[in-house]
Amino acid sequence: MKQKQAMFWLQVRRATALAVVLLLWEGISALGWVDPFYAPPPSAIGGAIAELFADGEIYGHLEATFGAALLGLFLGLIGGALLGFIAALLRPVAELLEPVMAMLNAIPRVILAPLFIIWLGIGIASKVALSFILVVVLTFFAVYNGIRDVDTRLVERVKTLGGGSWTLLREVYVPSVVAWVMGSLKVAVGFAFTGAVVGEFVASSRGLGYLLAFAQSTYNAALTFALIVLVLVFVMILFGLAGALERYLLRWKYR
Amino acid sequence: MMLDIRNLQMSYGDEPVLENVDLGVAAGEFVSLIGPSGCGKSTLLRAVVGLQKPSAGDVRLDLKRREIGLLFQDDALLPWRTARDNVALGLRIRGATKAEARRTAMRWLESVGLGQFGDRYPRELSGGQRKRVAIAQVLALRPKLLLMDEPFASLDAIVRHYLTEDLLGWVDEEDLTVLMVTHDLEEAVAVSDRVVLLGNGPRAHVKGRWEIDLPRPRDLLRVKEEHQFAVTTRALWNALSEEVRTPTTRKRPEPETEEATP
Repeated sequence: MKQKQAMFWLQVRRATALAVVLLLWEGISALGWVDPFYAPPPSAIGGAIAELFADGEIYGHLEATFGAALLGLFLGLIGGALLGFIAALLRPVAELLEPVMAMLNAIPRVILAPLFIIWLGIGIASKVALSFILVVVLTFFAVYNGIRDVDTRLVERVKTLGGGSWTLLREVYVPSVVAWVMGSLKVAVGFAFTGAVVGEFVASSRGLGYLLAFAQSTYNAALTFALIVLVLVFVMILFGLAGALERYLLRWKYR
Repeated sequence: MMLDIRNLQMSYGDEPVLENVDLGVAAGEFVSLIGPSGCGKSTLLRAVVGLQKPSAGDVRLDLKRREIGLLFQDDALLPWRTARDNVALGLRIRGATKAEARRTAMRWLESVGLGQFGDRYPRELSGGQRKRVAIAQVLALRPKLLLMDEPFASLDAIVRHYLTEDLLGWVDEEDLTVLMVTHDLEEAVAVSDRVVLLGNGPRAHVKGRWEIDLPRPRDLLRVKEEHQFAVTTRALWNALSEEVRTPTTRKRPEPETEEATP
């Protein structure tokens, strides 16, 4: 109870601080201390957001970005988990995959965006591919290391109770892997959106990244800010969902 | 003999940890195995349950492997399973239906005094309670031979005392034969029919055997006032000291925590 109250007041303090910053910003703009061309006041940004929704055009763009990000996230999680699982269990596969994954992990993977656009065109496929490549490497290492670090005491415990490979997989390996993947799920959500938006930014005809490129080329700072806020809000919502899923699946850890 | 170990040799790589170990445990006996840290006591248990293959010698069992219960040093419960499902796990592996396994698991949790804790995850239990869950998990499979690897090493004195007392009760109720690894001399003498001393490693082998000719079940506090308890503890203390003091050239020490023995 006390902890809940403390949490509540912490949130109140944070919200107040945010409100103060926004008010100051608004005030400085109103006084003409900064050029609204570069730093439009919060009211102008809010106006830009309202405008985006008013004519309904934004929904198509949101759909494009969300579609690419979520599909990339989904495929990346599945692909990374499968590859990690196989690599951890089959030595030769690990020997082949590990250096490739390590290299992909070392570079900023968004540099692959132009290549995907050349290969897959400016449609959604290249965005999904970029999201996928960002997420798959992250998930691969989470699963691969997760399986190799599985508690050997648990493995031996299950063996001495008479369990075979199937029981080991179900009772020990899969739950360990789920724990590891859940630990990196939030990062994966962030990566998936990075992939989708950067892909759109580079070349596309739809999506929040496309709008961002448009805002940039027309020197529309208010629209740029508005789009940043939108991405922020949607990613925060997905973070919340990912957090809830994590707390549910790992309730043995958090309850 | 329910368990008959002959000329057992166990190695890690090329290095023999145990050599020429002979050890027999008859049905109904309670045998303790003591020895310096890292001499290979746990390795011997691993050989008996088949987690590790002997490099030479025999482990003869007058029962099926599935009739052996092993209680580990740490509780090693699955953190993502509740106490009840941890106990049910072994039963499920042996083919019980989910409902059946859970019912039996709850009965065993009740008999180890954790009837209300079935829905708790291991993280939500104390060290002593987790130990009890681990015991229930092993006993639920109705073993005939119980192997224990320093079962209560990590517990504080009072919890340890009552848990040992309860365990002795279950051993008698279930008519179990026991082989226990410990480095607590007094505990070994207090609970066992026989104490076997394993020498210093590498190439550790049996250095001595002491029969403790006191009737069981014993009162854990009373037994320490017995003359035979004092004499045997003293003799074991001397023998073990000699082993510990003998310098050895060991290339690869087994990491193991050592507790101070009085």
